[in-house]
Amino acid sequence: MDLFLPSLGFGLVTASIIALAAVGFTLQFGVTNIINLAYGDVMTASAMVAYICNNGAGLNIWLCLPIGAAFGALASLALNRGVFVPFIRHGASLLTIVIVTLACALIIQNLLLAIWGPNFFSYSMSSGRSVDALSMTFTVAQLAIMGISLAAMFAIHLLLTFSKLGKAMRATASNAALARSCGIRTERIIDLTWLISGALCGLSGVVLVINTTSFTAGTGAGFLLVIAAAAILGGIGRPYGAMAGALVIGISTEVSAAYINPSYKDVVAFGILVVVLLIRPQGILPGSTSEKGVTT
Amino acid sequence: MSTAYQFYISSLLIYFGVDILACWGLNLQIGVAGIINFAFVLFQAAGAYTAAVLTLGPAVSPANGGFQSYIGGANLPFPLSLLAAALVGALLSLVVGVIALRRLRADYLALVMLVVSQIAVNVVQNQNNLFNGSAGLSLVPEPLTDVVHLAPLSLAYQWFYAGLTAVICLIVYFFVHQITGSPLGRALRAIRDNEQAAAACGKNVFLLRMIAFVVGGAIAAISGAMLVLFIGTWAPSAWLYPETFVLLGAVVIGGGGNNFGVMVGALLVPVAFLEAPRYLPAIPGHPELIEPLEWIITALLMLLFLWFRPEGIFPERRRRFPRSAPARDLGGPV
Repeated sequence: MDLFLPSLGFGLVTASIIALAAVGFTLQFGVTNIINLAYGDVMTASAMVAYICNNGAGLNIWLCLPIGAAFGALASLALNRGVFVPFIRHGASLLTIVIVTLACALIIQNLLLAIWGPNFFSYSMSSGRSVDALSMTFTVAQLAIMGISLAAMFAIHLLLTFSKLGKAMRATASNAALARSCGIRTERIIDLTWLISGALCGLSGVVLVINTTSFTAGTGAGFLLVIAAAAILGGIGRPYGAMAGALVIGISTEVSAAYINPSYKDVVAFGILVVVLLIRPQGILPGSTSEKGVTT
Repeated sequence: MSTAYQFYISSLLIYFGVDILACWGLNLQIGVAGIINFAFVLFQAAGAYTAAVLTLGPAVSPANGGFQSYIGGANLPFPLSLLAAALVGALLSLVVGVIALRRLRADYLALVMLVVSQIAVNVVQNQNNLFNGSAGLSLVPEPLTDVVHLAPLSLAYQWFYAGLTAVICLIVYFFVHQITGSPLGRALRAIRDNEQAAAACGKNVFLLRMIAFVVGGAIAAISGAMLVLFIGTWAPSAWLYPETFVLLGAVVIGGGGNNFGVMVGALLVPVAFLEAPRYLPAIPGHPELIEPLEWIITALLMLLFLWFRPEGIFPERRRRFPRSAPARDLGGPV
């Protein structure tokens, strides 16, 4: 039996989830220059909020999805306004900010662990019937996840290319001081960036759990490394690169899992990353990201 | 002092020594050279595994239980296993450094290091014949028992090992002090504070950072080896990436760049801080709460230090040079 097409199907689902997460992650970096290592743990927290709405309040999981996304947006904004920006205003270096985000990551993860304990949590939902297409098999839930991801990617594309907000975000990303002197209110743009990327973060956290069916307090932190691999692969700070990176990482991990030991799929992802870094440290897309200071 | 208490104190001293070694290594990389090595614990693990498989006999022999599978099994005596560990740590740092230190900026590098740390855990967990997979290695014999004629696991041996750790600490301190106090150390600090300026002064940034990275990696491996030879066991769960954060906390809180400060940090964070909750009354019904709370408090403490005293308890000593008179004569801005 040929394994390629079925595993490609899994790869597309995984890639959709990674793409949602990686675009949010890379947007945060691109506009504000903060590598937010707490990103994965905000994903877990969002998944937990959806879990409470789902299992506690009895809401349908697809209704909990926007609630999780809203939580992710607000939590990310709060994290930036409450912790990162004060530290930057206080004169923290790039290096210090990375350590601060890691500290926040550990605090969020261990708060979840302290409150809800070291358990596995599953949504009460059905994945729906299976649908066959081109000898790839998807559940209805997986098709929905791919649909959501495609829609989100398209929306991000429209936002960045055609809307005034998107253009302002790009202007802030490439030169915040210049953007400010052109009359762009960069502080508001940055708040909105954290809201949008945080929403993607929350969304990806919930769909990750919808796909894998259960999570623990450490799920997001583990997934962060795959997100980071996709983002670095595409050249960190570049949304289209993150989408491309997500496709490469998602498909290569699942296809390789079908042919070699599945527990090596993360090793394959990271192996690709190392090779790419050796050849092109700036990522797979043409052009390069240059060094800038932190933007508030 | 009761025997049990002496066991406790001597073990604590050995852990303290191991943490001091690790913190000096990390300080050389992050405090002196400004390399964010979030994969530090990987190099500690490399040393631990190397020392373990070189000290253990062949995996097939029933004397080792026959239940573990690993490479090596050389039955090497003590100083050799430690030196081999240091060598492996240095070589691994060389390989990782060539990939990671080449052209990556600081925060990019941090991310790549986290990923590298995770790759290594994945590989070791899944490749059972390397270091016995997720179960890890155990029954590593304690070194030099026949040389000093002490029974393994005896109290006298505990104190002997504590002394041995102290000697290793002294030797490593000598090396570290030589580096931080030399022109090499000054060049590294210059690169940390202003890479472009250091490069403009003709310093080879990549080479100098590589030196700090490789020496730091070798020291990390020595600390790992000293730890595994004492506790006799080592598994992937002992070196997940948050472990680096504890040592990082020690460096930041003690005082990055200051070897003495870092030593105090090692006493405060990994030893006192993770040991103190042992004496707290258990929270009724929630015995598992202690560990997450330890992490939360460590992280909060670190945030507080980064905010109120980013230079740590004992800041790096700045050398002051007398302002040179001729600069004014040239009429330039002073």
